[in-house]
Amino acid sequence: MSDLKIAVIVKLEPDFSEGNVSYNADGTLNRAETKSILGPHSAVASSAAFYAKVKYGARIAVTTMGPPIADTALQQAQLLCDADELHLYSDRMFAGADTLATAEVLKTGISKVEGGKMDIVFSGHRASDGETGQTGPQTAWKLGFTFLGNVIDYNVDMQNRVVRARRMISLQGFYDVIEEVEAPLPVFIAIDPSYKASFNTVSQRLAFEKYQKEAKERAQNYKQYLKIFNAQQLGVDPKLVGLPGSPTIVYKVERIPKAKASRKAEVVDGSSRDQIAKVAAKMYEVLGGMVIK
Amino acid sequence: MSAKYEHLYVVIEHEDGKPVPVSLEMLGEARRLMNGFNKKYSANEKVVALVLGNNMRRLCEELIFYGADAVIYVDSPEFQYSRNLVDTKVISQVATNRELAKKFSDASNFIKPRYMFFAADNIGRQLSSTVLADLESGLASDINKLVIEDLEIKHEHKTKGQAVKYEKTLEMYRPDFSGFLWTTILCLDNRNPAIEREYHPQACSIIPGVFLPIERDTSRRGVITDYIPKFDERDLRVKVLDRKIVKSAVDFDSCKAIVSFGRGIKDSSEQNIKMVADLAQALEAEVGVSLPISKKPFAVSEGVSSTYMIPDRVIGTSGRKVAPLLYIAAGISGAMQHIAGMKESGFVVAINPDENSPIKDECDIFIKGRMEDVIPLLLEELRKQKPAIEVKK
Repeated sequence: MSDLKIAVIVKLEPDFSEGNVSYNADGTLNRAETKSILGPHSAVASSAAFYAKVKYGARIAVTTMGPPIADTALQQAQLLCDADELHLYSDRMFAGADTLATAEVLKTGISKVEGGKMDIVFSGHRASDGETGQTGPQTAWKLGFTFLGNVIDYNVDMQNRVVRARRMISLQGFYDVIEEVEAPLPVFIAIDPSYKASFNTVSQRLAFEKYQKEAKERAQNYKQYLKIFNAQQLGVDPKLVGLPGSPTIVYKVERIPKAKASRKAEVVDGSSRDQIAKVAAKMYEVLGGMVIK
Repeated sequence: MSAKYEHLYVVIEHEDGKPVPVSLEMLGEARRLMNGFNKKYSANEKVVALVLGNNMRRLCEELIFYGADAVIYVDSPEFQYSRNLVDTKVISQVATNRELAKKFSDASNFIKPRYMFFAADNIGRQLSSTVLADLESGLASDINKLVIEDLEIKHEHKTKGQAVKYEKTLEMYRPDFSGFLWTTILCLDNRNPAIEREYHPQACSIIPGVFLPIERDTSRRGVITDYIPKFDERDLRVKVLDRKIVKSAVDFDSCKAIVSFGRGIKDSSEQNIKMVADLAQALEAEVGVSLPISKKPFAVSEGVSSTYMIPDRVIGTSGRKVAPLLYIAAGISGAMQHIAGMKESGFVVAINPDENSPIKDECDIFIKGRMEDVIPLLLEELRKQKPAIEVKK
């Protein structure tokens, strides 16, 4: 049985963790002062790919579209999944792309890995900055791969080349559903943030340690694994990428106007015990607990 | 004369024949927008609901009562549950089918819908992405305001820097992750001769719980059109093996009080979260969080993080809508997204050092102070005054 061929799509994103993230006085993100890292959802996608490497054996390529500095996201992902190849799609021509134009680049790039014979492509649930969650499914559609979203765990039946996955779906006004689905390879999996890999057998744990060690060594020398492709090397149609290939534009950005006050607040001094005592009494009154003393 | 791009198609989601609330909300907003459109531009363009399902003709009638002019109904046992692959195929077929559009309009030149709405939920978010990839047009996600307007656009790529009038353009407003900025997204044809290309439909996914449905009106009449889908074995290659209903561990619906926290925990996050949990316990309340917290921006112990800093607890447009008797917002500034999730609460108490934060306009009592100073005092008083009769659950 041959190894699985896996690609992971990752993204360099602002680091929202405290100490690294910086907000402007008006509550908006200060992009200049905020560092960039491998996005948290991209990290989960990388871990999901690593699971396949440990459990089934896999060759993994991590891919991203972005400026040259986005190679740090590839390095961080390599550390998580022991990637065999790192692909950066970088060209000024790609700048300003919306999700459809981004998906076009990613599709073209992934079609080049392993001659396009991928078994599984992983992406995160959504990016922390753009938050559209559209790029993954759109890349899947362009690749012609079955798209499985909100996947909380998965296994591969290597004999039959079939994936079994559990998906978590919230139905507004109803309930949450866990759905178990089956689909033949190749598939595109957008992994849910709640995904956690677990390794149950001794041989899996040994493989885990071996590959983790290898990942550390590789990530230290990540440039050896890195290939950078520009638009020409990828062979993308310039009309389908970047701004020309983006159906949508950002027309304007504005501060959300302050809504009309919906309540008239009584302001209470938080250091006054008397006033806080009254607030406590009011809370019990609201909850209907002060009926009988 | 009919245009190439006509009508507003709304992709309906349902569970066992009952519409998911956002479906009716989308229809409501579609109705309001197209009422304006019909008056201003043309009376020929319709609100068209699109339903994939099995034995759901009754739902189709309901959709007309809730604002649809026409319903395209695709019936098949294969549509018992939503599956991205086959659903995408069929929705694309329907959206590009002129004969179907002729059932409720002239449509002699129809190519695709002018506008298209999906729900911004687990199903619609992905479905909208794949359908628009297939239709090769633009999509804006998580929209909470929509306007149709004639716009004059000057854009380096779209118009080669020239001023060009775009008629009947859908302005799609999207709040960013902070909840403080609104980005307006447009889907525009490339009128620049070098890259000329038409992009329709102008599509978006709509945040659940934002728009109001119209009042159900059983006197409304509309056309229900059946469509026999075309798909083959390959389109059905995803099999649903099992489906289990799970209840979230976080129960916002049956608790009388909710204590939520936001970025105000930052100075001592671990301790502050524990303090909020203590306050919640004293009031038999559930714990909620603002959206930024679910991104785990603070380093806290694994136990605290996995219990409290989770998407399940998010209150707001990206999470749950709640309406307890008592809502306490500790260290929450009050971004619009959060307010939308808690404004129906009975009595609101905010704890915040900054009197200028928007939450002040959304609460009944504003305790001015840092949560680490206020909550211990409040806890003491609550314990002291604990009523003889327990707070009834």
